[in-house]
Amino acid sequence: MMNIVCVPTGLIDLEHPQKGIETISESGFDSILFDMAACCPPDELEKMGKPGGRIDDSRYPAGLAESIAPLLKQCLERKMHISIVRAPRLFRNTKRCDLTDVLSDLAKECIKICARAGCRQLIVSPVFAGVPHGTEWDVNRKYYLGLVNIARENDVTILLESQFRDMNGHLIRGICMDVNETAAWIDRLNRDAGEERFGFCMDIGVCTICGQGVQELTMTLNSRIKAVILRDCDGQHDTSMLPFTCINYGHLQTDWTGLILGLRENCYDGSLIIDFGSNTMTYSHLLRPQMLRMAKMTADYFRWQIAIKAVIKKYDKRVLFGAGNMCRNYMKCYGREFPPLFTCDNDENRWGGQIEGLEIRPPEALRELEQDCVIFICNIYYGEIEKQLRQMKIRNPVAYFSDEYMPPRYFNGIEGKSVTKND
Amino acid sequence: MHKMAVGVQSKNIINDEYPVEGFEMMRRAGFTCCDFSLNDYLTNTELYKYCKNGFFDQPVHELKAFFEPHREAAEAAGIRISQMHMPYPCYVPGAPAKLNEYLAKVVAPKSMEICAYFDCPYIVVHGFKLAGVLGSEQAEWESTEAFLKTLVPMAEELHITVCMENLYTSCGSHIVEGPCCDAVKAAARIDRMNAEAGSEVFGFCFDTGHANLIGLDFESFITTLGSRIKVLHIHDNDGIEDLHQIPFTFAKGRENKASTDWGGFIAGLRKSGYDQALSFETAPVLSAFPDRMKHDVLRFIAQIGSFLAEEICLDKCVYTA
Repeated sequence: MMNIVCVPTGLIDLEHPQKGIETISESGFDSILFDMAACCPPDELEKMGKPGGRIDDSRYPAGLAESIAPLLKQCLERKMHISIVRAPRLFRNTKRCDLTDVLSDLAKECIKICARAGCRQLIVSPVFAGVPHGTEWDVNRKYYLGLVNIARENDVTILLESQFRDMNGHLIRGICMDVNETAAWIDRLNRDAGEERFGFCMDIGVCTICGQGVQELTMTLNSRIKAVILRDCDGQHDTSMLPFTCINYGHLQTDWTGLILGLRENCYDGSLIIDFGSNTMTYSHLLRPQMLRMAKMTADYFRWQIAIKAVIKKYDKRVLFGAGNMCRNYMKCYGREFPPLFTCDNDENRWGGQIEGLEIRPPEALRELEQDCVIFICNIYYGEIEKQLRQMKIRNPVAYFSDEYMPPRYFNGIEGKSVTKND
Repeated sequence: MHKMAVGVQSKNIINDEYPVEGFEMMRRAGFTCCDFSLNDYLTNTELYKYCKNGFFDQPVHELKAFFEPHREAAEAAGIRISQMHMPYPCYVPGAPAKLNEYLAKVVAPKSMEICAYFDCPYIVVHGFKLAGVLGSEQAEWESTEAFLKTLVPMAEELHITVCMENLYTSCGSHIVEGPCCDAVKAAARIDRMNAEAGSEVFGFCFDTGHANLIGLDFESFITTLGSRIKVLHIHDNDGIEDLHQIPFTFAKGRENKASTDWGGFIAGLRKSGYDQALSFETAPVLSAFPDRMKHDVLRFIAQIGSFLAEEICLDKCVYTA
């Protein structure tokens, strides 16, 4: 079951976290990602050891734990789980090429914090500052393997993430942006660690900005993906907006279809991290609770869409409810791999007929089902139909099918409609 | 002093009525090569509307006769046709089968004939944009490969190398990577197809503008493809739209430095030992500037070409963005 995680940017005051945690909890979230950059921001790292810098040898790195002690206490009291921590990182255009050891110490401290918080995943960005072209793997291999022992002791998985390169204001592909190379890195690190200690945190915002083929990337990295950051952006700026909100001339900027289809095909069951920090930073605090509820609903929607194939796969026997287009689309995409026994419909004129070779029966036929057979509702009146089934005292598992995101290859063929920009 | 050839695309320079003037202008501006825009005779805008004109309906001998003045003018000006662009797309998704058959069986072979007529060694061909429809990049490539293989006999006979190019596609109105944007896969595919053909009939065209739109790492991409890169499409953009503008003209930060990785481009070509033409695909620049400035603009582009050539020929990197 995918774990839904909220990124609480702008929502939590580290010294007085009670209200923030309460608001997040009331919106239905029970899990957060905590970014340690809140305690150790890039601008402070940039000034480290220099006049005017706040972070000094006495506060770093043990000071991190002290900074988030009130948050940990509140999370415990409110049953809010910190399920992912993100380690501090440098500015993309940092001038500091001397902080690799500092970053390593900070990551180790974060692992200890993860252990205290009962958190099992830590996102650690690759080292890039001052790393000559062509030596990225050697430098990062040493860096990541240096974290293995302490990660193992504390049962924490290290998640790599893609790294932008700042080309004078243009965000271009940096380390861990080549999908095949990233897969090879993770496999090699796990081999060297002697266990699965490394994975990948996929950030859809990064994919959008660098125009990556999302479905291809998702399917190539496959089970290496342990967490996915859901956020929208305009394709140029590194912002974190609520999914489906970045529109240009009526078109979405993010390839949500590719993401959903790719993760669905992988039967993904990792974390879904919803990041809408750019919205929360600018919305009135009076509107934030509503926005948080919307964010939770959006994350739930993604979880449902992504899990559709995994749910179909989970049951050996299945029937459909509904004999319209959604049923037809089920048959086109999944009918061969996961054939239903039959479908049923409330329209008695259709009983005894067929759709895509599937027999249409009356709902009464559902009474004869074996108990472990799932009923997939193929009609958008999900609630009403489920209620009807329960009123009929049918106790079989019920699941909702959706044809909103379906692989185009089943519908268009090679002659199908395709809208592309001209070269 | 560098020895690399510098070229520019013929579109917006060569006038079919009087090609001498355009080729002469290229020479005076400092170019020695030309990327002949055959795609200008059957445009993508027409094809995406499922339309075509009758240009390629002409028999090959008539097409050769049509281009005879162009060939003579180029020769007289000392301009070598170093690369040619086949009309694109080579496959129009959703178009009637008849149009796609025409592109594969009429336009493509006739383009090869015209390429040979100009003694041009390289022709740039676009891969099919079908990943969305077919469900995967691999399936898309297989369609492209089937088409490319139909060109092998002519490529061998006419001594032409067919170059595939890194392209983009779109998600909504946002540009994302398209065919041939994975350098490792492209290199392996070229090698395999050349091995199957028994000769070097396939190569690569690196397009700087397309690469910039999806933030590719220029140096890494170029060095991975190495000697498979036979031709270039050099142009610049803002990272948002495919503008085909003059290199070094876009800046995003307050420091006003180039936001395209020209340093990576130079380093990649230097490491790969690239020694072919530095060819600019900057036709829109010429329609943007006033006609009276055409020569000055072309001269400026040629000077940028000379700068890039000098940097590429140096032992180590001097230019930094």
